[in-house]
Amino acid sequence: MKYDLIIIGSGPAGYVAAIRAGQVGLRTAIIEKENIGGMCLNWGCIPSKAVIESAKLYKKVLNDASEFGIDGIDNKRIRFNFNQATERANSIVTKLTKGVEFLLKKNGVEIIHGEAEITSENTITVNNRSLETKNIIVSTGTYIPELKTKHKNLVIELKELFKDRKLPNNVVVYGGNSTAVEMAQFFAMIGKKVTLAVPDKAILPLADVYLANYITKVLKKHKVDFIYDVDLLKLDKLYTDKKLSLNGKDVSCDVIINAQDRKAVVPKSKAKFEIENDFIKVDENCSTSVKGIYAIGDVNGLSKFAHIASAQGMFVVNSIKGIKSELDLKKYPMNMYTVPEIAQIGSTEAHLKSKGIDYKVSEFSLSANGKALTEGVAEGFIRILSEVKYGEVLGVQIAAANATDLIAEATAFMSVESTVYDVAKTVHAHPTISEVFMEASLDAFGEAIHK
Amino acid sequence: MKYIFKFPDIGEGLDEGTIVEWLVKKGQQVESGDSLVTMETDKVVADIPSPKTGTLSSLFGKEGETIHVGDALVEIELEGVEGEAAIEEVEKGSDMEAVEEEGAGVVGTLEIAGNNAVLSSSNEGVDETVEDKREVKIKSLATPVSRAIAKDLGVDINSVKGTGPAGRVMKNDILRFAESGNKPKALSSVSKTESVEQLVEVEPLSQMRKTIAKNMIQSKHNAAHMTVFDEVEISELDRVRKKFKEKYAAEGTKLTYLAFIIKAVALSLKKFKSLNSEMDMENSNMIYKKYYNIGIAVDTDKGLVVPVIKNADKLSVVEIANQIQLISEKARDSKLKMDDFKDGTFTITSYGSIGGMFAVPVINYPQAGILGIGRISKQPVVKDDKLDIGLMLPLSLSVDHRIADGGDATRFVNSIMEYLAEPVSLIF
Repeated sequence: MKYDLIIIGSGPAGYVAAIRAGQVGLRTAIIEKENIGGMCLNWGCIPSKAVIESAKLYKKVLNDASEFGIDGIDNKRIRFNFNQATERANSIVTKLTKGVEFLLKKNGVEIIHGEAEITSENTITVNNRSLETKNIIVSTGTYIPELKTKHKNLVIELKELFKDRKLPNNVVVYGGNSTAVEMAQFFAMIGKKVTLAVPDKAILPLADVYLANYITKVLKKHKVDFIYDVDLLKLDKLYTDKKLSLNGKDVSCDVIINAQDRKAVVPKSKAKFEIENDFIKVDENCSTSVKGIYAIGDVNGLSKFAHIASAQGMFVVNSIKGIKSELDLKKYPMNMYTVPEIAQIGSTEAHLKSKGIDYKVSEFSLSANGKALTEGVAEGFIRILSEVKYGEVLGVQIAAANATDLIAEATAFMSVESTVYDVAKTVHAHPTISEVFMEASLDAFGEAIHK
Repeated sequence: MKYIFKFPDIGEGLDEGTIVEWLVKKGQQVESGDSLVTMETDKVVADIPSPKTGTLSSLFGKEGETIHVGDALVEIELEGVEGEAAIEEVEKGSDMEAVEEEGAGVVGTLEIAGNNAVLSSSNEGVDETVEDKREVKIKSLATPVSRAIAKDLGVDINSVKGTGPAGRVMKNDILRFAESGNKPKALSSVSKTESVEQLVEVEPLSQMRKTIAKNMIQSKHNAAHMTVFDEVEISELDRVRKKFKEKYAAEGTKLTYLAFIIKAVALSLKKFKSLNSEMDMENSNMIYKKYYNIGIAVDTDKGLVVPVIKNADKLSVVEIANQIQLISEKARDSKLKMDDFKDGTFTITSYGSIGGMFAVPVINYPQAGILGIGRISKQPVVKDDKLDIGLMLPLSLSVDHRIADGGDATRFVNSIMEYLAEPVSLIF
């Protein structure tokens, strides 16, 4: 039996590619060595967002309930029950992964549990079976580099977090990416003492500096300590008696959340595709250096976001099938689930400056938005970066309670190369937080109504 | 209440104009009808009147600047006007179109937007003429930015192949199209060396030159040109003209050969309907016109203009002569109005007045034909088997061979020649 396509790894890159392949009539198998849904569904996006939601509700009840007119809450008796929060998260995970499994089967995709080895550009061995295939997609994802230590339970990573456990009080989060920032704020919200140990000189290298600075301020307000240029390679030399020495400063530390930047999980392979900077090297079509073998999702290092992984999956299957489609990584949003949420799409100011593009920044604050005020989430802003001559929107940055949903509008209008004039004349329903788009666009030519 | 007056579409498909002179200042009080600004458009220099009474709070654009139809010209602070939706958003690339009031396209009486300043982009209120229908085109799918850039670069977006979803024209498609030489490049035939500045003189194209270029290319591109040459002996016409010339000169009328020729052409057009027509390829129709408006190409300092003598078939030779005089003066003083150019059905070009004998005229597209008139000269002719001196008028007729065949063209020229040889027939 010969397959048209075998996919290794069932995360948001692999499973979306598999469903799409089934849809277009390719004989497809997907191989998974752990859980269907991969990192995103099982240990990443979904459970982390679920527990963050619990933390937000906890904060809201604690801080806002009486102001909103709800009496009878005794703040002294309010507790954050982490185990219940993770139980809720896991029930959502189960529901979603079952759903993915159902969709794979519905689209005629064969699911094989086991660890795959690529034995040639057309053969894969799994569970001692050799499978023949015309195409191979590698979507094996990434792993977190281990922090070696002799202290048991000192270092945990996201994958281990959502298990029944008692959380200690002093938390060090190691990393500077969005996961690290989200986790740092999460622990701060549930009342832990948090230190964000950043390996570099700044957090969020992909975000506009304006957003990074903003969220840094927000976290500092949540009493998160920032320490930059941290290297935990020789952890045991730095850690003694529940104290971690970070650049000369002793920080109380019961647990370290390892949220470093991730590295590719390269499957065993006799076909030697090129590796570059710890990721599988691909061209603009997600092809590896071996013909017929593709790499999609964060394993190729182009992006670590699940929605981009899925988009790459769709794109590659379409190309295998000969369906013309496009992949433009500049037009995908980047989201971060902090409070307020952060979302960004398109160019940053630094990028526009480096390209010498004449641009304009227009801004509107959520504090002037009616709906945001009624919801008690008036913290944040929207920024639109537009090209001066024609007014094309080149970048949008949002800090808002629902920024990750709001950004979808920008994604849609940027995909058709809209200008600030188009956005400004689009009627936005009132009262909604989406009105900030209209106002910020009007602001681009100095005609914001509520500014 | 503020009212933003936009540069109106003053007809003939003009989409831009150059500000020659502001006749008003910011803060000045204006009455409805007062001239605001002198604009040079494709074909005319005209004063644009204020549509409202009020105080000018802003003037947009500097002298020498080119602005597009729909761009804001002035902002007028209206006094005592309440409850009127008079504020318009100023936006680039507005779809707004002018409404011609009182059915006139004359610049001087044109008012834009009426009381309700925001209009739909439909043609409501504008008479749909035959020409208007021809302009209907399929609008290509394109992103907003690509439209703005196309307009700016003068790229016809409908001729650009889109690479976006469902063939949508994207920004890069326009840029690639413009770069690939589909747009004329400056100094294309002159190599760019440091001494170029001394070797050539670079002058920006005037509106009029741009229009002429556009029209000529459109004609040569669309019409299948074919030209018939002939000569007619006009001693009799000369005799008649001389006889009445002084009499009419006393009344202020300059009785020219052209007046007779126009009359002869108008009467001949009535006999050969194909020469007074146009072809509507899009709808696979021939459109025969039952009005006979003869355009005359007039050479001015700034370039060629073609004002029209309306219903020439119904006018006497003397009336035609008066009209010629009037429009020639207006043309040379740049005082022609849009109405003077409209609705021509056939054109005459008189290169002979400068000295040429024969030329191959370019059709004033989408008309079906154009008659060229050469220099009148004394030539030896054979009359009744004897050598005689004849007064010869060379004629050249270009027709659109898609519409008229060689036979029709020649018969049409013959008809004109018969009228001119026997001028008395022109009065019947």
